[in-house]
Amino acid sequence: MAGVFAYAPAIAALPFVSFVVALLAGKYMPKKGALAGIIATAGSLGLSIAVLVTVFLGETYNETLYTFVGGDVPFELTFGLLLDPLSAAMLVIVSLIAFLVHVFSLGYMNDEGETGLPRYYASLGLFTASMLAFVFSDNLLMAFMFFELVGLCSYLLIGFWFRRAGPPSAAKKAFLVTRFGDYFFLVGVVGVLTTFGTAQFAGEEGFPALAETVLNPETTAQAVNTFGFEPATWFAILGLLVLGGVMGKSAQFPFHTWLPDAMEGPTPVSALIHAATMVAAGVFLVARMYGFYALLPTVLAVIAFVGGFTALFAATMGVVKNEIKQVLAYSTISQYGYIMLALGTGGYVAAFFHLTTHAVFKALLFLGAGSVIIAMHHNENMWDMGGLKDHMRVTYLAFLSGSLALAGIFPFSGFWSKDEVLYEALVHGLGGSPLLLGAYAMGLAAVFLTGFYTIRMVLLTFHGEARSDTAEDPHGVRWNVKLPLAVLGVLAAVIGFLNPLPIQKLTGLEVDFLHQFLDSGPEALLTSSHHYGDLTHDYAGYSVGTIGGGETVTMLAGAGVSLGLALLGAGLAFALYRGAEPTRHTEKLGGLQTLLMHNYYQDEYQVWLAEGLTLRLSGAADTFDQGVIDGVVNGVSSVSLFSGDRLRRLQTGIVTNYAALIVLCLLVLLGAFAALGGWF
Amino acid sequence: MVLGAVPAEYYLVLSAAVFCVGIFGILTRENALIFLMSVELMLNAANINLIAFAFYWGNLTGQVFGLFVMALAAAEVAIGIGIILVLYRNFDSVDVTEATTLKW
Repeated sequence: MAGVFAYAPAIAALPFVSFVVALLAGKYMPKKGALAGIIATAGSLGLSIAVLVTVFLGETYNETLYTFVGGDVPFELTFGLLLDPLSAAMLVIVSLIAFLVHVFSLGYMNDEGETGLPRYYASLGLFTASMLAFVFSDNLLMAFMFFELVGLCSYLLIGFWFRRAGPPSAAKKAFLVTRFGDYFFLVGVVGVLTTFGTAQFAGEEGFPALAETVLNPETTAQAVNTFGFEPATWFAILGLLVLGGVMGKSAQFPFHTWLPDAMEGPTPVSALIHAATMVAAGVFLVARMYGFYALLPTVLAVIAFVGGFTALFAATMGVVKNEIKQVLAYSTISQYGYIMLALGTGGYVAAFFHLTTHAVFKALLFLGAGSVIIAMHHNENMWDMGGLKDHMRVTYLAFLSGSLALAGIFPFSGFWSKDEVLYEALVHGLGGSPLLLGAYAMGLAAVFLTGFYTIRMVLLTFHGEARSDTAEDPHGVRWNVKLPLAVLGVLAAVIGFLNPLPIQKLTGLEVDFLHQFLDSGPEALLTSSHHYGDLTHDYAGYSVGTIGGGETVTMLAGAGVSLGLALLGAGLAFALYRGAEPTRHTEKLGGLQTLLMHNYYQDEYQVWLAEGLTLRLSGAADTFDQGVIDGVVNGVSSVSLFSGDRLRRLQTGIVTNYAALIVLCLLVLLGAFAALGGWF
Repeated sequence: MVLGAVPAEYYLVLSAAVFCVGIFGILTRENALIFLMSVELMLNAANINLIAFAFYWGNLTGQVFGLFVMALAAAEVAIGIGIILVLYRNFDSVDVTEATTLKW
């Protein structure tokens, strides 16, 4: 079965081929390149499942395939594959979502008669290919390269409708904001390479293992170049640098501003970006190099706080939005905040679990929103909808399943994963790291808001009376929209049972499958979850604390509180927005609503940073450059110019003058020799 | 020998005098042909030195060099006349003070 690893590069190569095919031959193909993409992603999905099964049976793979800078150099730059439980599971998620998005695009793009479809499918193929390659990267540099490609493809796809005013500007914003984070990431990659001489993720030779050896007080530390810092300080700096890229891509505060604007892209692209590719890349990177982060308590605390704050911050903005996709955009930021919170509090498995469930239900919600948008003739305002549940049964049921998952209502998937995230924050906060309790509190508050805005969105969209003509007679959708919705709708309801920790604690049954899976794999790779647990315990001082005697009580109490808050939020939304003609309650918030609608003026202050501060600084620098630096150079050259201008008058062009000068000089020379030689 | 009665200094003074006549010609005249002649005078002033010293030391090398200088002078005249011809074609005169265009 291990032979399947030989074909693993094809997981990313197949969508790449579909990119080339769609680009070159797309316009001659019957579905303008969609079929190539569907076949390629289906192939990737099949191979990914094969890899997952192989990894499940205990085989892993960590090989360098190609060295592009090698030989007599301080460190080699390579391409390679790392297939362990984490990347194998992620490959399945990414290729599944990509496959469904391709199918959905048939309905959203082809059936709606869009132009430029070969370009669309080509970008989609490249997007999928680069994300898949990013996931199975075995070293940080390769990961960085594909991380950048992911960013490029999101730029292409967000700006797909480039003839309108909004999308190109949103695309540029997404690219610039993420690039800003990636700049730190690049410095971090170079730092890791020069410090450790390797950027491998896994194994004894990988940089997390080397960092652990250096920090371990019991071993005689082998020297790494830490540029004069304490090793722990220097590693924290490296970790924070790489975290810059993560926060940019995963839209964490303060780099979240690009994500709501990215809604300008086609809705299937939003689904892909939010669920499986672009945004997931950031948090996946933290999970990938968790062996490194687990050593750094400061960085972990930063991750936890940024995550908790983002979760709450984004949720508050989601409460007042009127467009269905805007609500979903802020919920994405918020949910990735949870994933970061889990990573920061040592909940490696919880983070990946939430990443998985979120990928499913957020893809579902976006595709459901896409279906609604088709039905509404591309009107996204929820106040023009209403009553759609009677017209689009499949969409409604699937969307409801996704919404309940997002809100964290028992027994949908979001409940299990969000609960585990909060549980990890709680127990580690109780167990000697009280700072984490602050992050936990923010996460808990966000649960309430999530429940509120999710149910508000569902009620406004599907319930009540139709509030516009299009909502009364919506456009129908075909199988290619309903199929992905149905698949994801079922998954969103049941995927939580991958890892129902409360059931395991209560009954003692071994049902925490994801825990067991991420814990498997050979010890030599050093990527198993119990290894990470040891690291966070030994180096970050995380230990498990409980309330009321025992983990089971703590877990049930935590789950009860979060479920209660979610239900409270949902109930409040239900009370406020039910009925045939719901009123706009958010307007009662007054100034707060204005603040929230303007996204806390984050855009304004970032524009001010760019225009008011950076532009002025660079203007001053330009003046300095033109005036002082160039002034010195020009001054020096003007002296030469002036003296040259005077001296050239020596050149009369009359040969007699030259001869006279020569004779004169000869005489002077003779005179000098005579005087010095003592002739007189 | 008759020559032997003449001291070497006399030859040197003669040579210097001829050389100065040549230089005077170059510095004061404007006609390119006179220039050529002046240069010939200067070359021959050098020749006088060579021959005189060759005779003085009884060494034939100086005389051989005198022959070389004559051959060189002939070649120089050939080229010089060519240059003067071209000068005349371009400026309609052989006045060296008019041909001043080859400068900045």
